[in-house]
Amino acid sequence: MAARRLTRRAFLATAAAGAATGPFVFTPAKAQSFNWKRFQGKELFLMLTKHPFIDVLEKNIPEFESLSGMKVKWETLPEIQARQKMTVEMTANSGGIDAFFTSLHVEKKRFWKAGWYHPLNKFLQDTALTSPDFDWNDFSPGARSGVTQPDGSISALAAFIDANVFFYRKDLFGPKNLAPPKTLADLEPLVQKLHAPPGIYGIVLRGLKNANATQYPSILFPMGGTYLKDGKAALDTKEQVAAIDMYSKLLRQYGPPGVVNFNWYECSASFMQGQAAIYMDGVNFASQFEDATKSKVVGKVGYAVLPSGPGGHFSPIYITGMAVNAQSRNKEAAYLFCQWATNKANAVRELMAGVGVGRTSTWDSPEVKAKPKMPADWYQAYQASLKIGRQGLPEIVGVTEYRDIIGVAIQKAIEGAPPAQVLAQAQKDFQEMLNRTEG
Amino acid sequence: MPTSSGRLGRWAHRHARWLFPAPAVLLVAVIIVYPIAYTVWMSLQEWFASSLTAPHFIGLANYRKIALADARFQEAVGRTVYFTIVAVGAETVLGLAMALLFNRQFWGRGLLRTLAILPMVATPTAIGLVFVMMYHPSLGVANYLLSVVGLSPWRWTYSSQTALYALAMVDVWQWTPLIMLIALAGLASLPREPYEAAHLDGASTLRAFWHITLPLLRPALVVAVLFRAIDALKTFDIIFVMTQGGPANASETINILLFNQAFSYFNMGYASSMAVALFAVVMGASLILIKVRRSTTW
Repeated sequence: MAARRLTRRAFLATAAAGAATGPFVFTPAKAQSFNWKRFQGKELFLMLTKHPFIDVLEKNIPEFESLSGMKVKWETLPEIQARQKMTVEMTANSGGIDAFFTSLHVEKKRFWKAGWYHPLNKFLQDTALTSPDFDWNDFSPGARSGVTQPDGSISALAAFIDANVFFYRKDLFGPKNLAPPKTLADLEPLVQKLHAPPGIYGIVLRGLKNANATQYPSILFPMGGTYLKDGKAALDTKEQVAAIDMYSKLLRQYGPPGVVNFNWYECSASFMQGQAAIYMDGVNFASQFEDATKSKVVGKVGYAVLPSGPGGHFSPIYITGMAVNAQSRNKEAAYLFCQWATNKANAVRELMAGVGVGRTSTWDSPEVKAKPKMPADWYQAYQASLKIGRQGLPEIVGVTEYRDIIGVAIQKAIEGAPPAQVLAQAQKDFQEMLNRTEG
Repeated sequence: MPTSSGRLGRWAHRHARWLFPAPAVLLVAVIIVYPIAYTVWMSLQEWFASSLTAPHFIGLANYRKIALADARFQEAVGRTVYFTIVAVGAETVLGLAMALLFNRQFWGRGLLRTLAILPMVATPTAIGLVFVMMYHPSLGVANYLLSVVGLSPWRWTYSSQTALYALAMVDVWQWTPLIMLIALAGLASLPREPYEAAHLDGASTLRAFWHITLPLLRPALVVAVLFRAIDALKTFDIIFVMTQGGPANASETINILLFNQAFSYFNMGYASSMAVALFAVVMGASLILIKVRRSTTW
């Protein structure tokens, strides 16, 4: 309770300060008055993940070292290995990691329940620790709720935000006078018109279990489905049946052969080889579509917001952030790094490199507008998607287990099993898992 | 001083049979016995890898669940055994055939034999990644080769029906040479006399193979099959890299499932009970094969 009150006060204070003093509140003089060198001479160790955001960030870490006078060491591992290593280090209570890059869409509730995130609420309020130009309210509402726990504690600072969008081949849509679908009802007829195998398949979406669970909500949310109802599993509702029916039918009838085991890698490969007319996936994959060394469809790809449906208009979003380890001996110093990594200057750098971030101020940044790396409709689709963003996965402890449960159901449906039947099994497994882990 | 060092020397001399193996025993205790004992202990707990809630003891509940309630685990056991039989069966037949071939004298034998064992040297993860690309239903070279000989494309690892066989093929490709090597060594040590006797008695080559070569080669073959079976039962890398157990759960073996339970779902206690079960399966298979090797009749 106390934590929630503090957070709210922090929001209000920042918002009020912004409103009262207008755009001149962050003058250079004031920004300089913030003491970055408070922990000069300390050494930090970071656990990072192989990720486009980190690729850009790593290059600038020396800048933080000279700014803060601290020495930064870090290790970058692929996501799954990084999570395993974190688990081992944390359960051993080693305290060797000061800050880490966290995939909130998977780890948020588990790490919080395990007590591994240090709550940042007090740090964010502390003017000696948070630079005046950091501006928490600059993060989009989805980004802020994505890093905030049910008890109001803030577990991380939002870094990278992925949103599911609609990729399509302008060169195939144009001659047929087609446009991206406004609603789910328009989707299948559209796919049907573009489907011309074996040269072009109508659509490609992830089929592989677990991976498919992040794309399924692109259909499920507009269909009106949710994962939980009153804390109970809700995988056997009629909205779920309609969603899994549409998802699996699209892939079974209009997907490339073998799509049932496609991860994003195979999906984007077939899209870049020009074999698919439509692809729905995370917005960050787009940078490879426009890379002539990898893609045959450079300049031919259009970007749009996902279609809406009877349940509303949503874009599933996935947030990663920088978190302070609750076991660290240098929590405040580690927080300085997290703050620097997610500040406005670094957010602009990320967006310039085509990596999506959750700061609204970057959208109108003159630097980004002057030298856009991506086509204009990519920026538009991305921003519009963040406005209708909803956390793409259930915020539970057993996210990975849920992803496998629904993932297997989707794969079975793609291979022809009746949707209601596979969902009945999934519902049973999901509820059993919730009973075991959420208690 | 001399007395005390002399006393130490005498003591060491008296206890030499304990003292000398002690470092090795200690090492085995620390790196083999302790982890196994700890895993067994862990398998009696429920623990979600959390710093706030400690493991709590639940007795044999995990074993009851894997034995009676968990259909996914039981399917995984069946699949693991089936995968092993298919893969090792094919490897044994092919490996023996290759050994018989390379046991003959022909030009270029040394070079070909070296080339034949190359797959064994490669890293399974890298092989897995290469085969994923080759198996790709529309971009892969495997279906292109099928189309060249006029066959229609297959789904390989991209279908529940064929995924396990496609994975077994990778295992066969990589590990047939091991069986070949062991069989070849066995063939080289066979005596000449029985063959000469059989030849004089007018036995055909096939009969000689069936009644002389195979029985004499049996100890070597059983060792080869034993090695391979233990390895195949705990295959992890190629499956993890190529299908992660999919499509659906069509290629999920015990090892993949227990990996998921431990490192994706963080059900440490439950995963430990699966590890113990896998240990029992491997142990059981080894005991059966060793018994086959010792028994003197077919």
